[in-house]
Amino acid sequence: MDQKEFSKFVLHLLADYRVYSPQEENNQIIIAKLVDSEKVALDKRLPFYPWKNFFVPDCETLFEYQGIMLEKPPAVSNPQNERRKKFLPPLAKGQTRKKIALLGINILDLRAILLYDLVFALDPYYQARQQNALVIGHGFEAELPDGSIRKFSQDDLEHLRFDIFLAEQPKERKQLLVFAGSEKGRRVLDEFGYRGYQNIEFAGHKYSKEWEEKMNLWRDKLKNHHNQKIWDELGKICLECGKCTIACPTCFCFRIDDTPSLDLRSREIDGKRQRCWDSCYYQEFSEVAGGPARHASQGDAGGHKFLNTTASKIHFWYFHKFGRIPDEYNMMGCVGCHRCHTVCPVDINIQKVMEEIENSQ
Amino acid sequence: MDNPYQTQPAKIISITDEAPNIKRFELKLDKKLHFAPGQIIFLSIPGFGEAPFAPCNAPDSDFLELCVRRTGKFTSVLHTLKAGDGMGIRGPYGGGWPLQTKNEKLKTPATGGKNLLIVVGGLGLVPLRNLIWGKDEYFSSDAKVQIFYGAKNPDEFLFKKDFNKWKKQGIDLQLTIDKECPGWAECVGEVTILFDKNPIIKNASAFLCGPPVMYKFVLQKLAEKKFPEENIYMSLERRMHCGIGVCQHCAVGSFYTCKNGPVFRYDEIKNIPGAI
Repeated sequence: MDQKEFSKFVLHLLADYRVYSPQEENNQIIIAKLVDSEKVALDKRLPFYPWKNFFVPDCETLFEYQGIMLEKPPAVSNPQNERRKKFLPPLAKGQTRKKIALLGINILDLRAILLYDLVFALDPYYQARQQNALVIGHGFEAELPDGSIRKFSQDDLEHLRFDIFLAEQPKERKQLLVFAGSEKGRRVLDEFGYRGYQNIEFAGHKYSKEWEEKMNLWRDKLKNHHNQKIWDELGKICLECGKCTIACPTCFCFRIDDTPSLDLRSREIDGKRQRCWDSCYYQEFSEVAGGPARHASQGDAGGHKFLNTTASKIHFWYFHKFGRIPDEYNMMGCVGCHRCHTVCPVDINIQKVMEEIENSQ
Repeated sequence: MDNPYQTQPAKIISITDEAPNIKRFELKLDKKLHFAPGQIIFLSIPGFGEAPFAPCNAPDSDFLELCVRRTGKFTSVLHTLKAGDGMGIRGPYGGGWPLQTKNEKLKTPATGGKNLLIVVGGLGLVPLRNLIWGKDEYFSSDAKVQIFYGAKNPDEFLFKKDFNKWKKQGIDLQLTIDKECPGWAECVGEVTILFDKNPIIKNASAFLCGPPVMYKFVLQKLAEKKFPEENIYMSLERRMHCGIGVCQHCAVGSFYTCKNGPVFRYDEIKNIPGAI
């Protein structure tokens, strides 16, 4: 597909979808809603933030409640819904009246989708969101923050989940190779009128032999050769700020909270039960009620925290990614994007930490 | 696709004071909830959130019973409710105590132990009450059951009305309180003292439940008595949000307290930092 045809394709998408794509702003790549079709930046640089919000929203309403009854919020786009017609509240974050197209997800971020698919396989909210989303990947090259380039090839595509994938031709960089990875992807391309795509059949996640061994080695070190000194040292410098958990595509912890409604017009709901991002570095992550108050200001409300040192918190984060997720899903909870290192105010480098663990006794 | 976060309505039928700050709630559900001893359910009070509790009703009871101490925001609200008030319930979650019914095999057959030693402290008796009442369902008629129960003072013992009936069934129930109390003629000292005062039954599984601080000392005593580690089971407690092993709050090593627990076999968790 040449550039002219690609521009037409983007316009075609904009007609039916709310399109989000990487765009260049102030020398940085960010993900934003596409308004001007010329602004799509199919770049090898990773966007600053991952695509996580489109799969695991930072805040989503599970139910609206009245009394003790919970009701799933009505689909905003459902014209039958009388309540929505009456009040037409502003769209909550993550809700949309159109289907969504995610245009230009790099391979590292596509890897994260494999994990979301496994974790949220039985989650009706996630599944409904996926039916509404068109996933278009891009690029056989990914540039990390330190300038190094990860290279991929067509062979990697069958182990990633996407609807359409675009990649620059190696010799003719202005031409895009087009792959379809699902029925939905084929349909979109056919409707657009482009037939020159190759079909890829998703064969499930699979590591190279080298990475499979790496995963097993790191897992074994964490589970069977726990080295408290490493975590104590990290505990001295980590600030528990949690920026890594926000920037990381594979962090998906959430909390569920009830928020009373402040809308005086509405007699129909008392409030919402919402699922929002949480972070294992935050103070209350492991806190339970009870236990003696440690500070006079707490009054009766002392709580017990199971992760009560910085060392235990940072260990919990690494163990989730390289111990627990491999045990659960036979893949690592890390896609190698280095965003955690990029945002860390004290320069904790995940690659160096894993090297230290690998070489520890 | 089922919504794992949806609750069913439950109505409070009665509330009884079991101990200071501890109330026992009898709940009627639209659809009777079947659970195995040691499993947990989530109680939902819209506007205040959810929390996990272990049902403690006898097996043939029509009502779901929860025994709850007032200890934080959610439980304080719960304690203000009256008979007739409603809540939401979802569950049951977790694996419960490893038991084998006479009719069908449950999750894991109890290893080794033909008999049962129960060591509980404070509120810890709650997830075991159901099991004690239904012991004939899970253990042979000649199986011996021994209970070591420690509480702060005599008022803090739960389910006192059940004690005589249990003793009549041949259960060896040993009580102890932390400090001397007027009118108390039985044992004084933390629950570990019962190991010194009573021979523990042999060929048994040990089911432990109590405050985190209790586990370390009881495990030491069991080790002293050469109790096999693979016969020791304990119920852990963690903060929970989803109940289905996704939100990560209750993770212990590679296990989830909600999904793979709350009951764990000691040798499977003893090397996990921070587990006990």
